[in-house]
Amino acid sequence: MKNIARQQMSIKVSTMDLLNKQIKLEAHASATYLAMASWCDQNAFANSADFFYAQSAEEREHMMKIFRFITDCGGIAISPTVENINHDFSSLEEVFENALDHEIMVTKSIHELLATARKDQDYVVENFLQWFVAEQLEEEKALRDILDMFELMGRDGIALKFIDERIKIGA
Amino acid sequence: MSTVCQSKFYTLFQSDVDRCFYIDFGQKVVKLTFCQLLALRQKVNSISIEAHFDADLNKHGFEILVLCNKEHLFLLNTLEILDLKHLVCHGFARLGISSENIMAVS
Repeated sequence: MKNIARQQMSIKVSTMDLLNKQIKLEAHASATYLAMASWCDQNAFANSADFFYAQSAEEREHMMKIFRFITDCGGIAISPTVENINHDFSSLEEVFENALDHEIMVTKSIHELLATARKDQDYVVENFLQWFVAEQLEEEKALRDILDMFELMGRDGIALKFIDERIKIGA
Repeated sequence: MSTVCQSKFYTLFQSDVDRCFYIDFGQKVVKLTFCQLLALRQKVNSISIEAHFDADLNKHGFEILVLCNKEHLFLLNTLEILDLKHLVCHGFARLGISSENIMAVS
C-alpha cells in the first residue's frame, strides 16, 4: 500500500491540531492587544496605544506565519474565532502586566508544541518553531523593560506621562 | 483497494490507483481526496459528544455532516458519531501521520 497520506502531508495531524490551537492563541493575543491599545487611547497614553497597535499587528503576522506553514505542509489551517477579550484595566501598569502574562502564556504554549513535535519526531515543525522561541524571548524582554520603568520612575501622573513618552522611543 | 481501518459501522479504504480514499458509510460509499479526508477529520473532531447528553445543547442527539464540498450530507446519531470518531482517530494512525493512539491501534 502506497503512503498517499504522507505524500500529501509533511506533518502529523496531531501536530497540525496543536498548530491550529496556536493560531487561535495568536489571534486572541492580537485582539487582546487591540483592546489594550483602545484603553490606552481612551486614557491619553498615545504612545502606549501605538505600541499595542504595533503588537497587535505583529501577533497577527505570527498567526499568519503558522497559518501558511500548515497549508504549505498540506494540512488544513482553521480560521480562528476570538472571544472573551478583556477591555477593563485599572492602570497603565496593569495593562503592561497583563500583556506580559499573555506573552508568557504564548511562550509556554510554543514550548509545549515544540516538545510534542520533538517527541513525535516532527522535525520540520521543530525547525519552524525555533523562530518563535527566539521571538517570544524578545517579546517578553520588551514588556519586562517597560514594567521596570514603573519601578524606576513611579506611578504618579507625571511619571506615567514620562513612561508613555519613553515607550514611543522603545517601540 | 486496501482496507485501512474498519469500525462497527464504517470502513476506510485506500486506492493506490486513484490516489484517494473511500469510506463505506453503509448506505453509500464516498470517494474522498486526502484533503477531503482531512476536512472530514476536522469536522468529526469538532463535534462535541458531550452535547449529545445535554438536552439544551443537542435536543435530538443528531449531527448533520456535510462532506466533500457539500456533495454528501449525512444525518448521524450519537452511536454513529462515536464510531466515526473511532474510525477517524485509528484511520489516521494507521495511515502513519498521527501520533494519536498508535499504541491502542497496534
